[in-house]
Amino acid sequence: MNAIGLLSVILFTLMAFVGGKQGVRSFFALFLNLLVVILTVFFILNTSINLLIITLIACVLISCINLFFINEINDKTIAAFIATIITVTILLLFIHLMTKYALIQGFSEEETDEISGYSLYIGVDFVKIATSVIIMSTIGAIMDVAISISSSLHHLFRLNPLLTRKELFQSGLNIGRDILGTDANTIFFAFFGGYLGLLIWFKDLEYSFGEIVNSKVFSGEMITIFCAGIGIALIIPISAWMSTFILMRDKEKLDERKTSQN
Amino acid sequence: MLINQLKEAPKSRLIFYSIVIVSCLASFIFVYHNHSFYDRPIAKVIDTTITDSERIIDGLQNEDERFTQKIEAVVKNGEHKGKTIYLTNEYSSSGAYDQAFQPGHELFVKIVQTEDEALTGYIMNVKRDKYVVITAWVFIFTLLMIGRRQGLFSVMSLGINIALLSLVLDYYVENPQSNLLWISAMTVILFTIISLLFVSGLNEKTYAAIVTTLVGTFASLLITYVVLSMTSDSGIYYEGMSFLTRPYRLIFLAGLFIGSLGAVMDVAITMSSSIFELYEKNKDISVKQLKETGLEIGRDVMGTITSILFFAYVSGSLPMLILYLKNGVPFGFTLSMNLSLEIARALAGGIGVVLTIPISLYTAIFFVQRKRARV
Repeated sequence: MNAIGLLSVILFTLMAFVGGKQGVRSFFALFLNLLVVILTVFFILNTSINLLIITLIACVLISCINLFFINEINDKTIAAFIATIITVTILLLFIHLMTKYALIQGFSEEETDEISGYSLYIGVDFVKIATSVIIMSTIGAIMDVAISISSSLHHLFRLNPLLTRKELFQSGLNIGRDILGTDANTIFFAFFGGYLGLLIWFKDLEYSFGEIVNSKVFSGEMITIFCAGIGIALIIPISAWMSTFILMRDKEKLDERKTSQN
Repeated sequence: MLINQLKEAPKSRLIFYSIVIVSCLASFIFVYHNHSFYDRPIAKVIDTTITDSERIIDGLQNEDERFTQKIEAVVKNGEHKGKTIYLTNEYSSSGAYDQAFQPGHELFVKIVQTEDEALTGYIMNVKRDKYVVITAWVFIFTLLMIGRRQGLFSVMSLGINIALLSLVLDYYVENPQSNLLWISAMTVILFTIISLLFVSGLNEKTYAAIVTTLVGTFASLLITYVVLSMTSDSGIYYEGMSFLTRPYRLIFLAGLFIGSLGAVMDVAITMSSSIFELYEKNKDISVKQLKETGLEIGRDVMGTITSILFFAYVSGSLPMLILYLKNGVPFGFTLSMNLSLEIARALAGGIGVVLTIPISLYTAIFFVQRKRARV
């Protein structure tokens, strides 16, 4: 068995052992996530649909897998789902603006060796692909914050049903602030780990500070890190508001039913 | 609480925000006028005209369009400052390795002809620093406005960690005989302590989380190392790191080490603060109950945190996947060439995350029991 196979078996065993049924489901969710990534590539290659729309559809699918499949369809996951999609849409527009002006798309001169021998005129808009890469690398973290806030708020509201709309929203913000730091760290360190080889290479080449900052790869990666941070922060008020809205709507419905029964 | 803070310290808050705004404005003024700090000549695009365009169809029937662009730009620094320079740029509509320039873009150029009033030259690179600074400030303001104190801490911890990483890499590059894994181990310890102190302060749950994180990351690294050695790296294609003149495998392992750290910390601090919270709310809670609730929390976060890692790693390969497949490279080869490193990273990180759940559970319970014994 090769290394990837063995690592997968170990991860599957651990997830099943620690997480039981939910663990098994989490493992399959990873597998489905990979499938969505491949499917996205397939759609980019074979259709002429706008890449940003394909990205948005991919994000919807990914959110469905990670929210509805790992958990189940209920008020909590629906609130998290809507909040995720709203945030991703806002972020998509911002990121597209940045990638368009900063010209960080495609391959850099550092990658010349790797891409030599391939035709580069392949009729795919790489600016939009750059946008899609940034948004897809952040979507995991955005969903995580969304589901944490909405499930904590549900829990809180069940314990204190007399909380007002404003109090509930404020609690949502507080919960979000508490997890902001750890989620930001998760994604920042993942990026650092991924870029380590490249950073060592920059140091080896003795690029000056100016050359590093202006290089396509480095500026692209800094912009990715910052956009990920923006996404993680932006989801907090949106998710808090969405959960509050859904909880209050349910409560009003319940109240109406009660009064009509009386 | 927030209102109290505002009443107690309106002045320091005001001072803080003024400092932020002033440094923001100062950095904008700087990046828009820092041309004289660069040795290489910089030219700002004033006007562009497309002089030629042709449709191209490559061997695999991919259609694209190639344009030639004449650019009029003004030199912003050096001996030719203020003079007009004429440049030519070729780009395709897909822009995989080239780009269209618009008025406002600033370019590093090589000036070749200096006899006439009008200069010409080659485009070397794009000046991107201002876009990095703009995104950085949008990031800082979003985090401060939404996250307040915690947002500030996140920004600070990111800054300190980047500085630390840069220092450590300088040390590694300058001392070729040093062992990268040992250096990363030390760095990981520092990263963990700094980040967790920023996230949850000086208290017992932080200590429990620090211990857990270190044990969890080292365990996952060990497992991955053993797996790679046992399978002699079969299925892992290091070609994606071929630009390095250093041992790929070591750098891959070090990257994996640092990469899974954040996720492991996330699980460790979530578990440890929930277990301490349970204990604080009900001091008589039994160890069994703590274990059960802790495990439940761990199960809830396991899947989403592994997904965070998965997407952070895998998404970066999209451009390469598209390039390979559009060039008719077989599907299986494309996937193993471009995804094997990323998937191995995500799997190793996932192993770290899942292992951390029981480790964290027992460590936190150990700390709770110690606290209980003291009371």
